[in-house]
Amino acid sequence: MNRIISKITALLTIVFIAIFSVCTFFGKKKEYSVDENRPLAAAPTVKAGELYDGRTAEKLDRCMTDHFAGRSSWLVGSTLIQKELSESIVNGVYVSEERLINAEQSSDAEPVASADIFENFAENYDGMVYFAAIPTSAGVYGDVLPSHITGPSESQQISELYEALYGDIRKIDAYNILKMLKDNYIYYRSDTKWTSYGAYCVYKTVIQKLGIIPTAYDKFSIEHVTDNFRGDLYNRTMSKAPRADIMDVFEYREGAEVTSCIVVRRDGINAEGKIFDKSRLETGDMYSMYLGEPVPVMRITTSANTDKKLLVIKDSFADCFVPFLLQHYSEITVLDPSVMSGGMSAYVDPNEYEQTLFLFGIDSLGDRKMLSKIIE
Amino acid sequence: MVYSSLLFIYGFLPVSLLLYYITPKKLREMALLFLSGAFCCLISLYFFIFVVVFAAVNYIFMHLISLSRRNEKVAAVPLAAGIIIDLIAVFAFRTEYFTWLHRMIRAPGSFYPVGISFFALGAIGTLIDVYKGRIKADRNMVRFALYIMFFPRLIMGPLLRYRVFTNILNNRRETLSGMGVGMTVFVKGLAKKVIAADNLYMLYTAAFSTSVKEISALTAWLGAAAYILCLYFVLSGFADMGTGIAYLYGLKFPQSFNYPLLSIRLRYFAARWQSQVTQWLRRYITKPIYSVCRKRWMREAVFVLGWGLFGFWYTVDLNGIIWGVIIGTAVIIESRFLRKKILNPTGIIYTFLTVIIAGVFLSSDSAGYSVSYLFAMVGGNGAIADTQGFYLFKSYIVLLLVTMYASTDLFRNLMTRSERNRIRTAIMAVSPVLILAVLIVCTALMSYSGSSDMLLMKL
Repeated sequence: MNRIISKITALLTIVFIAIFSVCTFFGKKKEYSVDENRPLAAAPTVKAGELYDGRTAEKLDRCMTDHFAGRSSWLVGSTLIQKELSESIVNGVYVSEERLINAEQSSDAEPVASADIFENFAENYDGMVYFAAIPTSAGVYGDVLPSHITGPSESQQISELYEALYGDIRKIDAYNILKMLKDNYIYYRSDTKWTSYGAYCVYKTVIQKLGIIPTAYDKFSIEHVTDNFRGDLYNRTMSKAPRADIMDVFEYREGAEVTSCIVVRRDGINAEGKIFDKSRLETGDMYSMYLGEPVPVMRITTSANTDKKLLVIKDSFADCFVPFLLQHYSEITVLDPSVMSGGMSAYVDPNEYEQTLFLFGIDSLGDRKMLSKIIE
Repeated sequence: MVYSSLLFIYGFLPVSLLLYYITPKKLREMALLFLSGAFCCLISLYFFIFVVVFAAVNYIFMHLISLSRRNEKVAAVPLAAGIIIDLIAVFAFRTEYFTWLHRMIRAPGSFYPVGISFFALGAIGTLIDVYKGRIKADRNMVRFALYIMFFPRLIMGPLLRYRVFTNILNNRRETLSGMGVGMTVFVKGLAKKVIAADNLYMLYTAAFSTSVKEISALTAWLGAAAYILCLYFVLSGFADMGTGIAYLYGLKFPQSFNYPLLSIRLRYFAARWQSQVTQWLRRYITKPIYSVCRKRWMREAVFVLGWGLFGFWYTVDLNGIIWGVIIGTAVIIESRFLRKKILNPTGIIYTFLTVIIAGVFLSSDSAGYSVSYLFAMVGGNGAIADTQGFYLFKSYIVLLLVTMYASTDLFRNLMTRSERNRIRTAIMAVSPVLILAVLIVCTALMSYSGSSDMLLMKL
C-alpha cells in the first residue's frame, strides 16, 4: 500500500514538474508583460566576468521567473493564498476590498535630502518657482495600516521638505486638500496616483497661486474613457479584490485649443504628441493615456488669449494634471527628468519662462539621481 | 540558487534527474559530482572554484595525516594545519576581520560560500576521524569531493560524517517509490520554508522593527515566538529539502530535526534540535573532554560549554554563546532539580518558554538589545498590548497555531500509532494529491520573486 502511494506521489509530482519545466523552456517567450506592465528579463548571454561572480546565475534566475509558464495566473493564486496566510500584505502591497495600498518602504533617501536641488534651481532662475509635492494613496489612505508598516508618514515627509525649501519657492499644500477630500474618488483604488478629479481639486489651488482664476468644475465635460483600469499596485499583486478603476478625461470645450504638441522622444527624435492618447488604453500601461508615452520634453502651444509661458517639471503624477493648465497659457513645456538621458539644460532654457512649476509625487522625491538632472 | 526557487525546482531538478537516470549505473557517482559542480556554477563560478579548492586542500591533508599516522606527533601537524585552514575558511566569511583575505583570494564583493559552516564541520570531522584511525583515508577523489560539494546537502542540508555518507553511497538504490518518498520529504521541506518560515519572518520583522523602548509585551512575545518558529522552519525546511532531493537520487539521508520545539522536556529538545550538529560537537569536542572529567559538576560544565559552542556556531558572536549557555544550563537544572514526574503539558510549556526566551538572544546581535527586549516582554515598557500588538495577533494567530501544531509530532503519531485507523487510510489515500497541492501552493507563493531565499542566518 505504502509503496503504491509513494509511486503515485512520485509520478504525479515529477510529471507536474516536468510539464511546467518543458512549457517554460520551450514555450513562447514574451518580451513584455501586459498584466505587470513591465518588460520581462531576456535570457542572459554568457560572459566570463558575470559567470565568475554569479551575475549570470542571477540573470538566469530572473529570466526563469519572468518566463515561468502561466506566470500571471500563478501571481493571481499567490495573492489569494498570501492574503489568507498572514497580514493582507502581498509583495509590499496591502490588499483589501476597498483599495490596494503601497506598504513598502522606499529604499530611496528621505525627500528632504533633495531640497538643495530645488534651491539650486531657484537661485539660478529669474522667474517664479512653484512647488507641489503630492502624496501617494498610501499617504492619504495609509492610516488603516499599522504604524510599523507605514514608517514616516508622507505628510511628515512633505512638511519636512517644505521647511527645507526656504528660498524664493512658493509651496503648495496639496496634502491637506487631498486629505480633506478623502471620501471622494481622488485616488485610484489600484494605483498609487491620483485620479483626474484629485488633480482637479489641487489644480484649483495651484492655479490661484500662479495668479489665475481656475476654470469651474461645471464648465468641463467629463468622459469616462474606461472603467477597467488597473494600476501599478495591481501590477505588483494581480489582485482584483477592489473594483476596477475609472479613468476620466476632463475637457473644456469652449476653452482654448491645443494648436501644436511636439515631443522630444527618448531617442532624441521629435514627434507629434497627444494630450489624451486613447490608443494607450489598449496596452498594459493605461495610465499613459494622459500625455502618452513618457518623454523627456513635451511642448504644447495653445490658442489661449495670453502670452504667458509655463515650464512644468514633473513625474507621472502630473500627467493628468497638465491638461487643466492648458486654458491659461499660450505655451507650456513639460519636462520629465526620469526619462531624460542627460541633464535638463540640453533640452530647455528655464529662463525663457516666467513661471516654473515642480509637480512630483512624494515617492519619487527621494530619487536624487533622477532629480539632479534638473540642475545639470 | 537555493532549493526553494523556481529555477531549481523547474529548471535544475528535472534536467539533473534526466541526466542522472540516463547515465549508466556505474558512472552515477560521477554524474552526481558533475551535477554538484553544475549546481555550484549556478551560484557562481567563483563558488565552484572555492569549493573545489576547499575539497582538494582537505583531501591532501587527509592523506598527509594518513601517511604520517605511524607517529602520532608527526600526524598531529597536518591535522592541526588542516583544522586551522578549515576554521579560517569559516571565520573568513562569517566575521568581518578577514577582509584582507577576501582581497587576497580575489573574492567578488558580495561573495558568501553558502553552507560553509556545514561542510567545514564535515571536513574537520573527517580529518579527526582519519587521525584517530576510525576511518581510512579514502583514495577515491570522486567520493571525497562529493562529500564536500554534494548539492542536496550544500545549502544547510543534513550534516553527515564521512563514513555515514559513504555508507549511504554504497547503499544507493534508485526506485520509483524511493522517489515518491523523496518528493514527499522535499515538498514538506519546501512548505516549511515557503509557507511557514517566510510568513513567520514577516511577523518577526514587524515586531523587531518597532523600537525596543516602545514595543508592547504582546508584540514582543509574538515576535520572539515567531523568530524561534521561523528559525526552526528554515533550518529543518532546508534539511528536509536536502534529504528529499538526495532520495530522488536513491540516497537515503537521515533526518536532522525530530520535532524538537514542543518537546515535553528540555532535554528532549536538546537531543532533537539539529541533532547532527549537536552530535558532531559531542563526538569531536565534548566527549573527549568528558573522559578526563570525573566529577559530575565538571561534566555538566562541559555540557554547557558544548551548547555555548553550538550557539557560537550559529551566530559567531557573544549572543549565540549566551543562547547556548542558557539552553545548556536549563537542561542541567532540569535534570538536577526536576526528578519527580510532572505533567506533560507543564513540561511542554516550560520547555517552549525557555526556548523562546533563549531565542531572543539568538535573534539579535547585541546582548544589551536582547536584555531590553526581554524587559519589554515582561511589560517593562508599560504596555501589555497596543493596537499594533492586536493587529499582529489578529493577522498571525492562525499561522502561529498551525505552525506550532506542525512543529510537534502529533500528526506523525496519528499516522504511525493507529495502524487500522480509518483516518490514516484516508490521509494515505489522498496524500499524493495533497503533496501535489502543496507543491502548487508553494510554487504560487514563489512565483513573484522566483525564489524564497531568506535564510535568517548565514550558515
